[in-house]
Amino acid sequence: MNIETVWLVTILGAPLAAALLLSLLRGRGARMAGWIAGLAAALSLASTFALLPALQRGEVPTLGFEWIPAAHIRLALHLDWLALPFLVTEAAVTLMAVVYAWGYHRPDERTPFFYALLMLFAVGMSGTTLADDMFLFYIFWELMLVASCALIAIWGEGERRGAVALKYFIFTHLGSLMVLVGLIVLYDATGSDSFSSLRAGVTLAPGLVTTVTMFFIIGFCVKMAIFPLHLWLPDAHAVAPMPVTIMLAAAMLSMGTYGILRFPLSIFSPAQMAPFAVPMMVAGIVSELYGALMALAEQDIKRIIAYSSVSQMGYILFGLGTLTYDGIAGATLHVIYHAIVKALLFMCTGLVIRATARRRIGELGGLGGAMSLVALCTAVGALAIAGMPPFCIFTSEWMIFSGGFHTAQVGLSILTLFGSLLTVAYALWFVGRIFFGARPEGLTVNRQPWAMVVPTVLLAAFALIAGLFPAPVFDWVAHGLTLILGGNW
Amino acid sequence: MTGDVWVVLPLACLATGAFIVYLVARLLTSRNDLLALVTALVFAVALVALAPLFLITRATLSTAEGLPAWGHLGEGGAFLRADPGGLVVAGVALGLGLLVALYSGRYLALDHRYETYYPLLLLLVAGLVGMVLAADLFNLYVFCELMSAAAYVLVAFRRRLATAIEAGFKYLVMGSVGTVIILMGISFVYRETGTLALPQAMGVPGPWARAGMGCFLVGFGIKSAIVPLHTWLPDAHGRAPSSISAMLSGIVIQSAFYALLKISLGLGFPARGLGTLLIVLSLLNMTLGNGLALVQTHTKRLLAYSTIAQMGYIMLSVGIGLRCDVPWAIQAGFFLLLAHAAMKGLAFLCTGVCHFYCDATRITELRGTAARMPLVAVAFSVALAGLAGVPPLAGFAAKWFVLTGGVQAADALGYLGLVAFVVNSLLALGYYLPLIGTLFTRKTSEVSETSEVLPQIRISPWMALPLVVLAALVLILGLYPRPGLALALPAQAFIFEMLR
Repeated sequence: MNIETVWLVTILGAPLAAALLLSLLRGRGARMAGWIAGLAAALSLASTFALLPALQRGEVPTLGFEWIPAAHIRLALHLDWLALPFLVTEAAVTLMAVVYAWGYHRPDERTPFFYALLMLFAVGMSGTTLADDMFLFYIFWELMLVASCALIAIWGEGERRGAVALKYFIFTHLGSLMVLVGLIVLYDATGSDSFSSLRAGVTLAPGLVTTVTMFFIIGFCVKMAIFPLHLWLPDAHAVAPMPVTIMLAAAMLSMGTYGILRFPLSIFSPAQMAPFAVPMMVAGIVSELYGALMALAEQDIKRIIAYSSVSQMGYILFGLGTLTYDGIAGATLHVIYHAIVKALLFMCTGLVIRATARRRIGELGGLGGAMSLVALCTAVGALAIAGMPPFCIFTSEWMIFSGGFHTAQVGLSILTLFGSLLTVAYALWFVGRIFFGARPEGLTVNRQPWAMVVPTVLLAAFALIAGLFPAPVFDWVAHGLTLILGGNW
Repeated sequence: MTGDVWVVLPLACLATGAFIVYLVARLLTSRNDLLALVTALVFAVALVALAPLFLITRATLSTAEGLPAWGHLGEGGAFLRADPGGLVVAGVALGLGLLVALYSGRYLALDHRYETYYPLLLLLVAGLVGMVLAADLFNLYVFCELMSAAAYVLVAFRRRLATAIEAGFKYLVMGSVGTVIILMGISFVYRETGTLALPQAMGVPGPWARAGMGCFLVGFGIKSAIVPLHTWLPDAHGRAPSSISAMLSGIVIQSAFYALLKISLGLGFPARGLGTLLIVLSLLNMTLGNGLALVQTHTKRLLAYSTIAQMGYIMLSVGIGLRCDVPWAIQAGFFLLLAHAAMKGLAFLCTGVCHFYCDATRITELRGTAARMPLVAVAFSVALAGLAGVPPLAGFAAKWFVLTGGVQAADALGYLGLVAFVVNSLLALGYYLPLIGTLFTRKTSEVSETSEVLPQIRISPWMALPLVVLAALVLILGLYPRPGLALALPAQAFIFEMLR
């Protein structure tokens, strides 16, 4: 067991151990729960970075042993360049969300379970990116759903939380079942459960390739909340407690992208994927426009940002659908940058709600003076999501559009450009209506806890830094793409 | 009477045990917990006596010699023969019986009449074990009747409740029709072959044997709740004491299914035809079970319909295995049987606890369970999530195995079955999840605005222990299915031995 394996185990083990510890402590751990979870999340993130040098040396940290030999199932973990951007995003978002939760969540006797479920949610996401075996992948994939659904059902806001959690579970489980069917077909074709045998190549009948790819894409699009499979998202995001919303929007949605990259795109050749290019691009554009329009029409500030996710996931699907180097690289970059910006925007929204106890945008206004720091951060987030240089999303959108113009579908690419106009509209209007204008009668501003403000400011700084120095992240993504695309693109 | 004495030992333990427990209850003590302990002890001894058989059958299967058998009632006839599939079913029944007996140590305070309950429980399992291990049709019939008679009485055990009597009577009428039809089938088979010995394998069955097969299908179809012969089940499993529902849903109907499988393959019924029939019937079972479970308002009736659906999954997997010659699918079917026994047993025991402490029988009355009895809420959720096939629980591992088995078969009807399976597992979420949600709701009624502060209830260790054991089993079988698969492997090998 070398040091890389230890780090690899720590990525999953730290949050898992924290979750177990917190469940054992129960009410006694209410005070320390946040700190334990924060420590575990930090450890998980640190271990991810500790594995970077090994990856750069060209090594692939793995861990594997026999689990269920009768079904050819191995307990195998594996970190490669393709998984790395997603893993880093997930770990960082978890840490930020936990810190934010210190301020957001008032400790009571159930708090340890809250943090324990957050940790399990994190384990589900990092496990999904690390799993090197289909059975294990699916277990983590569903753990993510179970943990987040429990968080919504128990700690959600409003009376409808049970119904919303049910809707969320059934919708995403429908997607998961489609993924499951795809996985089983691949298992049958390779006779093994391991991703390594998938990487070695799969031979399937052409009809089956189409079916499996369709199942995978639709299944993962449910997780990405692509129109018309997005119906669970606005409700789930609006009802979930803010730290959970942050993890859902910034990290979990991107798992759908990871799935599309890992399964159909890595396994099948570009020629086999070609029939899906235009449908993916079209679905992406529809989602982008629809999300942006709904964000304009929505009244609840949390739902505005939630619809903005639908729109942003549309960009990502469009980028993937271009099947060009630029487009896919842009989509992967967009996952990371969107995570930063979306987490930032949700944090700002949470701060506004905490300070004013109001959620309807019509009842807000003129908060710029009283909450200048939050206003600044929100403005950074809004400009970033609108694709303004020098903030980070500019780079990824540039790549996605460039990918679009490399394909034959120039008309579609122009449409996406048009869609980004709508993004500018809702982003700027969002800032304008909350922080500028006259302050409505009786709107008071309460103090905001530092634990909620600090991560917000940090993320705003990140959004700028990542935009100014995109090279390191781009480097990771480029490594990942050579894994998928090989040298023939 | 010669042969391997190990074969008869578990059965002897149970039968003697039933007698002893009755005597103890009448003469020595009427304390419920002591009687439960004695009953559990009998189950434990029977389980220990069964253990060597697993090793013996494993050895004989690999050397292709005869299976361990006991008793000679005629030329080449035997009384009992331990086959690996029957051993799996018997082992599950004994294990579940042990936990149910412990559980009844507190639960039965609701009903009293301990001196009837515990002996009947032992006789139920004795009949079951005898039925799956019987070596000829006569013994199989007798033991089947023993099991059924015990089950009828236990279903109607709450004799002051009209609904329980009604359910028991319905079960009695339908079950008796079933056994009469089985008896008719036996006579047809005897007409053709002139022997009652359960053959290991036979040539092409003649017309009488085929008619007999039809009778067995209907008779055991009633006993194992194959749609459309399932109508007694929701009543019987819904009205019986929960500990008994756990036994009935967990293993009794599956044992009848195993008996059907063993007889039909033994008579030389073509595996492909049987497999096709099972797949077609499984479609009905799954769809009807899940569809009707969606509209239930009583927890136990919901679980009973879920049993019909899960029975459909088992039939589907076994059917695909038989139709397309896929050993893995049959192994998956046996694994599902194991997993389902643990999950459904756990679910029924949890409803029993809610009934015992909070008098909750309707789903809406389960609100606030998490606040009052966190252990029960968690165990119940584990059972329900497992039944829904949520990873990493046993139900998911079983689902994965069934799906992989089905895809291996590469068969049109098999694919149809798999599609129905996947659609059904989505449909099933529609009732499992709200039930879990209800457990964790804090409001105790639909109308109340605020969540009341509910006092915590301490659960008796007699009830807590089986819940913890079963919940742990559901989790462990999901994360580490190897022991379950190892048990299912010889059973699968035995079935395929019969096909050759």
